Amino acid sequence: MNAYAASFAVSSQAEDRKGVDTLQREARLNRFFADVEKRALRIAEISIRDRDEALDLVQDAMIKLARNYAGHPPDEWMPLFYRILQNRIRDWQRRQMVRNRVMVFFGRNTDEDDFDPIAAAPDPAGRAPDEELQSREAMRSLEDAVAVLPGRQREAFMLRTFEGLDVAGTAAAMGCSEGSVKTHYSRAIHSLRATLGEHWQ
Amino acid sequence: MKESNNIKADDAFAEKARQLFDESVQNLDGETRSRLNRGRQAALAEIGSGNRRWAQWAPAGGVAVAAAAALVVWTGSSQIEVMDAPEVASDMEILLTEDSLEMLEDLEFYSWIELDDETIDPGEPTNNVG
Repeated sequence: MNAYAASFAVSSQAEDRKGVDTLQREARLNRFFADVEKRALRIAEISIRDRDEALDLVQDAMIKLARNYAGHPPDEWMPLFYRILQNRIRDWQRRQMVRNRVMVFFGRNTDEDDFDPIAAAPDPAGRAPDEELQSREAMRSLEDAVAVLPGRQREAFMLRTFEGLDVAGTAAAMGCSEGSVKTHYSRAIHSLRATLGEHWQ
Repeated sequence: MKESNNIKADDAFAEKARQLFDESVQNLDGETRSRLNRGRQAALAEIGSGNRRWAQWAPAGGVAVAAAAALVVWTGSSQIEVMDAPEVASDMEILLTEDSLEMLEDLEFYSWIELDDETIDPGEPTNNVG
């Protein structure tokens, strides 16, 4: 009887410990998502130029990470999350291209679905002073220039500059070598500076 | 000297871009923040449920393949002069398959982690990734 009670107590303690671990992991993942989600949304939005779709992609990436990789060490979550998100973005862009081809095949005009930068722009929070207006316009110019970069350059630039990942983290998120990241990033910066001109700086 | 100036100009450009980006993140509206919060809660509810997903998507995969096959037959008889039937079938498969990259992602992640363990010097800091 004592042995049974002891065994029950050990089993119960193990269950409690497991429950505590799960709660701690959930809390850490919650903090990670809360920390990264807004920047991830803007990065996705700049890539695909559609906020609603970008919200869906970020949610998909969060779900995928929570489902399959929550058990990984937290310091792996950032590159894993952006790897998932970048795959989602590439997949979305591929589908969009295919969708347009299929619409042409079925003879549907897709003009009405064209991107409208004004409609997709973030809602302004109240009346903005001149300085804020200038910043928004500068950001819009930057977004337009980033959006037309080749895909890998765009990814390298946004992960390094906007998310602040180091070269190794960016390479892990992009699934390429650190040398490739440096090349893509350097080309992106030069291309953006040439596009936006000196007056932008 | 010129190269050094270029690097400084690149850094200044990146710094300004980062500031503008951070500002745009801070200015996200309430509705967007609320949707992100809901998305996060939905994700947290899914912790550890990855193993059940393949079984869940199996019927959808079957439907996608059947739809693609039907399209091959249909396009082969009517619209082949506009576009190759296999190309349209492949397009439809891409559109109908929800998680086409997920299997690849899993394989890539595991090979990356394995590679990571082999190539990164344990003494070398891998900051900014967690």
